[in-house]
Amino acid sequence: MKKNALTIIIAAVLLVIFALLLFTFQVRQSEVVVVSTFLKPTDTITNAGLYVKWPWPVQSINRFDQRVQTFEDKFSETYLADQSILLASVYVGWRISDAKAFFPKFPGGSVLEAQRKLENMLRSAKLAVVGKHNLSEFVNSDPTQLKFNEIEQEIKSSVDAELAKNNYGISLEFLGIKRIGLPESVTQSVFDRMKAERTKYITEAQSDGEAQAAKIKSAADRQAADLVADATADATRIQGAGEAEAAKMLGVFQQNPQLAVFELQLDALKNSMNQKSTLIFDERWSPFSLFQNMPANGAIK
Amino acid sequence: MDRSIQKNGVVNFTVALVIFLAGFAVTVFAGSLAGQAAAVFLGLSVLVTFVSWFQMRLEENERLEKLELDELARSRGASLFEAKDAGSFPARNAREQFEKYFVPGFAVLLLLLEAGGACLLWYWSGKNPAALKDAGATKALSLFAIFALLLFLFGRFSVTMARLENHRLLRPGASFLLAGAYVCAFTALGIAGVEAKYPDADLWAARALCVLLGLLAVENLLTLLLEIYRPRVKGKVVRPLYESRVAGLLAQPESLFTTAAQTLDYQFGFKVSETWFFQACKQNLPVLLLAQLAVLLLSTTVFFVDAGEQAVLEHFGKNAGVYGPGAHVKLPWPADQIYRFRTEQIQSFAVGYTPDAQSEAASLVLWTVPHAKEENFLVGNRAPSTVGEAGTNDAASTKPVGLITVSIPVQFQITNIIDWVYNNTAPDEFLTSLATREVVRYFAGSDLNDVLSHGRLEAATALRDRIQAAANDRRLGAKIVFVGLQDIHPPTGSDVAKTYENVVGAGETRLAKILEAEAAAIRTNKLADAQAFTVTNVADANRVRVVTAAYARAALFTNQIPAYAAAPSVYRQRLYLQNFAAATKNARKYILLVTNTQDVIIYDLEDKIRTDLENLNLTNSP
Repeated sequence: MKKNALTIIIAAVLLVIFALLLFTFQVRQSEVVVVSTFLKPTDTITNAGLYVKWPWPVQSINRFDQRVQTFEDKFSETYLADQSILLASVYVGWRISDAKAFFPKFPGGSVLEAQRKLENMLRSAKLAVVGKHNLSEFVNSDPTQLKFNEIEQEIKSSVDAELAKNNYGISLEFLGIKRIGLPESVTQSVFDRMKAERTKYITEAQSDGEAQAAKIKSAADRQAADLVADATADATRIQGAGEAEAAKMLGVFQQNPQLAVFELQLDALKNSMNQKSTLIFDERWSPFSLFQNMPANGAIK
Repeated sequence: MDRSIQKNGVVNFTVALVIFLAGFAVTVFAGSLAGQAAAVFLGLSVLVTFVSWFQMRLEENERLEKLELDELARSRGASLFEAKDAGSFPARNAREQFEKYFVPGFAVLLLLLEAGGACLLWYWSGKNPAALKDAGATKALSLFAIFALLLFLFGRFSVTMARLENHRLLRPGASFLLAGAYVCAFTALGIAGVEAKYPDADLWAARALCVLLGLLAVENLLTLLLEIYRPRVKGKVVRPLYESRVAGLLAQPESLFTTAAQTLDYQFGFKVSETWFFQACKQNLPVLLLAQLAVLLLSTTVFFVDAGEQAVLEHFGKNAGVYGPGAHVKLPWPADQIYRFRTEQIQSFAVGYTPDAQSEAASLVLWTVPHAKEENFLVGNRAPSTVGEAGTNDAASTKPVGLITVSIPVQFQITNIIDWVYNNTAPDEFLTSLATREVVRYFAGSDLNDVLSHGRLEAATALRDRIQAAANDRRLGAKIVFVGLQDIHPPTGSDVAKTYENVVGAGETRLAKILEAEAAAIRTNKLADAQAFTVTNVADANRVRVVTAAYARAALFTNQIPAYAAAPSVYRQRLYLQNFAAATKNARKYILLVTNTQDVIIYDLEDKIRTDLENLNLTNSP
């Protein structure tokens, strides 16, 4: 008896759990639920809470996240109005604004499929809008020339119009340009230009250094030459002054010019002789005249 | 042994083999991950059914051999057949050798296959989580359901036969067949889950089957280890090592207690299943399970929020408040559910680079060495370009753009958990996108050289403000704590960064050349100054010498005049001879004693020319 009661209790508990699973469902605050009756969408629930439904196959529920979902499209290349090429990718935030309209548009209400379709529209709009602008409106050292906001708004308007036309049940909350870049070949060209720019600065610095060095050396040489010239002039002047001073003594020699001239000749004789001088005298030359009248026994060298 | 049991073994093996091949083909066709795991399990079934059938044949041969020997003994007398050596009983010997060597080896092989299969399938399923092909899913679902049905019918029949006839060798294969039926049904459920828009169902079914294979491996290992210590009781029927109790339990879950009892009895060698504890557990199992369930539910009514965390409580899906650190009470699951977030933790993400462990560990960061996976950002360039657009095919390269590499760590905190949770599906990814956009936009409107030099701090502040404004605008509920321009430099690729370094080097070279020239100038000026000083001083000295000499000469002359006046010729001759001797002291002198004035004397006073100069070859220059 006791065992039967326990079995009944367990069965009842299991039955209640099973019934709750079949007849009730929860909706989270972040969700929107589409209730289908015999596979036909009949109700949309956006408020969170506990709800009652008929069990499958009479009623079934399809849950969707009603928060903003984001994704980024492909980093794709496009031709610009000024014949430049730019790679750009945008990110978008979208939400399911009308779950009842959204649900039948995509197989099983697949969010991934919706995202794929939205990406197609987005890419088309992006390439069309970006192609109307110049590179300088995307990149410019003067930030007032940038047109990011306008371009983003143009792309968003284009996609909004497309979404509204077919009532996808999707609303685009925001859109932003996430990345911009240049194709590989152009990037390489930009690298080359940046390097050439730097090479110019390198050459400029090196040449400037050489030029300044040459100028400094030249100025120094000039200054040195000036100094030496001034000194030489001073030396000449000093020499002149010395000669003038020495000349004052010439009057003394005038007392006996014959002796003075003889002494000058002797000074000249002393100054003109050096070690390599070869002198040839005969016996009549003083003081060699002493050799005269000596016994003649050959030449003496 | 009854021959019908052997036939049953053959049928089991055939069914397992056919369904294994079919299941494998279906798996390859549909690409189901769970199907792969099921195929491995079916492959094990093929091996087990074959080995058990083979062992049945050995035992049957042994039985026939014994019958023949008994018959001969009765007809010819016992003396001829009393030999007890192994050679007299080849069938029994074969069976004993098989059980002694082959069965443990086979059990080890099974262990390796189960463990290897579990690991490889787990790894493979992680790498290809969505391998199931849409086209073949429905067919695979149907076929696996059919396999499950077939295996169930054959397995159930064999299990009943084994139980009724108490045949131990039929049991392992039968258990594997019946468990295979449930595995196939589980695989079909996984595929059905994918069909019902639960894309991960196949993956999770595969993972569950991997766990089952792992359990089989663990059980097999334990069986092998315990076999070593099992008491050998003479006459006790030996359980086949390759028989899986897990598979048996899976095939017959109602026999949980029976299996447990058999296992305990078998292992310990006495009737553990007859103890009061075991019996009490067996009788009160429903109550114990209910109590366990109640405790489990009660445990979900209390939750603890850790320090630095906040938890959002949802009551039937509706936000019922935010809870801070501490213990809290709630209704049991599934009425109330909580979601925890680390709100005080500083979280971070990177813009412009992907951090990697190697670069994080590096102690030296250079522009010219890549230190992470870096991106290039377009940046304005105010530097004048002397190259016009005309005459070049590469229009973009002449535009005022540059490229720059930046590494920007962004740190943030969750400040409003409700906004963070309920406004966006992936708020952290969204914040990363917002930050990247602001970075791209900032640099696109900046000058390359400004950003590289004095604009860094300004850039970091401006970026933080901009990212914060964008996050506030989108009600993200996050506070940007820090934005750092930790690395900003020209691109590493194509030696651009190196060229920038060379500019700095060129500046240094320029300065060096100027300094060298200044040093040379200083030297030149100093030497010139010295030379000028020398020239002047020499002149001055000469002047003094000339003047002094003139005065001295004048004084000497004045004193010589009286002497000359007194004896002019003698004084003159004295002076002459004194000076002649002094002047010609070092000169070479030839003195001719001329006796005959008619002689002609020739002196060769030429200097000798060096002999090497005589050999000099002189040619006329053009």
